[in-house]
Amino acid sequence: MSQFILASGLSGPGHYVQLGPVQIAVANLIVIGLMIVVFVLAIILPFPRGRR
Amino acid sequence: MTTPVRHEDRAEVVGGDTDRMWTSRLRRGIFDRLPPDKLLPDEQPAYVCSWIYVFGVLTIAALVVIVASGCVLAFEGPQWYHYSDVGRFFNSLHFWSVQLFFFTMVIHLWGKFWMAAWRGRRIATWVTGAVAFLASIATAFTGYLMQSNFDSQWIAGEAKDGLNSVGVGAWFNALDFGQAMLIHVILLPIVLGLIIVWHVLLVRRRGIAPPLGAAPNSADKAAIKAAEAEPWRGRTRRYDLVKEFVAALTVIGLLTVALSVALSSPDVKAIRLQDWAKAAPSDFVATASAELDGSSGTASYGAPYVDIPGAGQHMGPIRLQEWAGVRIPVNAAQDFVIAPLQTVPNPSADLTNALSAWTSATPDQQVAWASAYTEALGKAPGADPAKVAPGDYGPVPTLTSALLAQADSGALDGALALGSRFYQTDYTKSVLFLADGSYLEDRARAEHLGGDQSGMMNETGSYPGQEWLWLYTFWYQIKPFSDETNPWGANADAIIWTIMAVLSLGLVLLPYIPGLRSIPRWVPVHRLIWRQWYADQERTRTKAEPPAGHS
Repeated sequence: MSQFILASGLSGPGHYVQLGPVQIAVANLIVIGLMIVVFVLAIILPFPRGRR
Repeated sequence: MTTPVRHEDRAEVVGGDTDRMWTSRLRRGIFDRLPPDKLLPDEQPAYVCSWIYVFGVLTIAALVVIVASGCVLAFEGPQWYHYSDVGRFFNSLHFWSVQLFFFTMVIHLWGKFWMAAWRGRRIATWVTGAVAFLASIATAFTGYLMQSNFDSQWIAGEAKDGLNSVGVGAWFNALDFGQAMLIHVILLPIVLGLIIVWHVLLVRRRGIAPPLGAAPNSADKAAIKAAEAEPWRGRTRRYDLVKEFVAALTVIGLLTVALSVALSSPDVKAIRLQDWAKAAPSDFVATASAELDGSSGTASYGAPYVDIPGAGQHMGPIRLQEWAGVRIPVNAAQDFVIAPLQTVPNPSADLTNALSAWTSATPDQQVAWASAYTEALGKAPGADPAKVAPGDYGPVPTLTSALLAQADSGALDGALALGSRFYQTDYTKSVLFLADGSYLEDRARAEHLGGDQSGMMNETGSYPGQEWLWLYTFWYQIKPFSDETNPWGANADAIIWTIMAVLSLGLVLLPYIPGLRSIPRWVPVHRLIWRQWYADQERTRTKAEPPAGHS
């Protein structure tokens, strides 16, 4: 298992996006995008109402 | 089973009434404010009916995983989590639980902002939450410093400039591994833990802010505020706090393990001075020469390392860096070059003579030799010391080539870091010397860690970094801060750290800032969050009103 753990991972070269003067890592962009998506889902998905 | 004796059933207490005793007062104070049914409730107001409410408990669950994995790392030690497979796995658990902690905390923060959750005497709840967010950033920062790998070397070298620029670096030295470690594993977790406990107790005491518009319709703002502060007396729903926490811990725990197994964690080896000497000998020699002539980054830095009036960053007349004084004195030529060479066992006659010539020369002569050599190195093809034009360089070529040989053998790593000591945890001199050269920066830029590459936010490889620093890194990438030829760029650290301090204060005190505190009313995200409650209210109102035409 440890071999699998060490063999995998994100240790390869990073990818970056240039937005005007601002550069951002794709990994960071994905996390920030996920935060926004999860936030939107959290406020629009119906919550189980349970018993009163 | 023993039945406890009730207070009122006991015989008379010798010594008189106990009501005025400190202990009695403390007990009453605690239980009046936080009776057990408030501390561990089994009901919630009916409006607490959105997934956004679960992100607070998810954040605490992530913190539990961070503390648990951190305890294992602390118990086993840095060697274990760098060089053993199981250790690296626990390091990954710690890394990913931190990512999940910030992920859930930021969503929790957004949710509370759009709910204007500070209403109804709940400002202290907001303030403690915002302070917990900032304390978490400080805790994460010290954690990144004590990774003891390439990323922490680079972050320490960059962060020291920010800390020094506002005068803090004289007390908190980012290059002192031992200091960062103790602050990370003891001081900040205690501070953060206390703030979060305080925050949670405030949530339990004050209750959860009611929906905007739930207070009776009134033009009197004071009446609305008073109504929002009142305990909720409307409909409630079942709420199993313990079950919710266990579920959150299970979700976060499983996610952390899954991410750790699938993705591992970043851990690029730190650069040794030996690595630098072997990979970039010309850069090494040029740096050593610059240390001798006083033109290197460290030699010309100013406070807290070198006493140079007027040196260092400032904001107009405010010179916090200079005012903090020289508290970590460094003599670049002596500490980085001469002192290590004096530890060489069985030195050659050339080295002995060179050291003797250097130490007996006047400071002006020393600078003249070294400056001439630094300049000649710059003009030599490939900056190769072997191709330097003849000149009056005194003992400098011998000294720098001996230092290169010492570094190449691996002896300089020990000589510079340890000096005459056996134990040590402070790598200030090693990192400063390394950072004076181009090799560290070239490696960092290749990993997109440069200041103008949002570097403090990035990690090595393709790993997510410190996304929570996006605003901080943003400033470094835009003009005028990205251009070091103007005063804004030359003093970018001091100005940006001040901007971030002001913005952080703004976040903490947001409930007091007119305009900003009203945004949640103007942009009705709250209508989505509480839509079920608003719909229920509308249905109740419609039922209560007689149909049109009836009288």
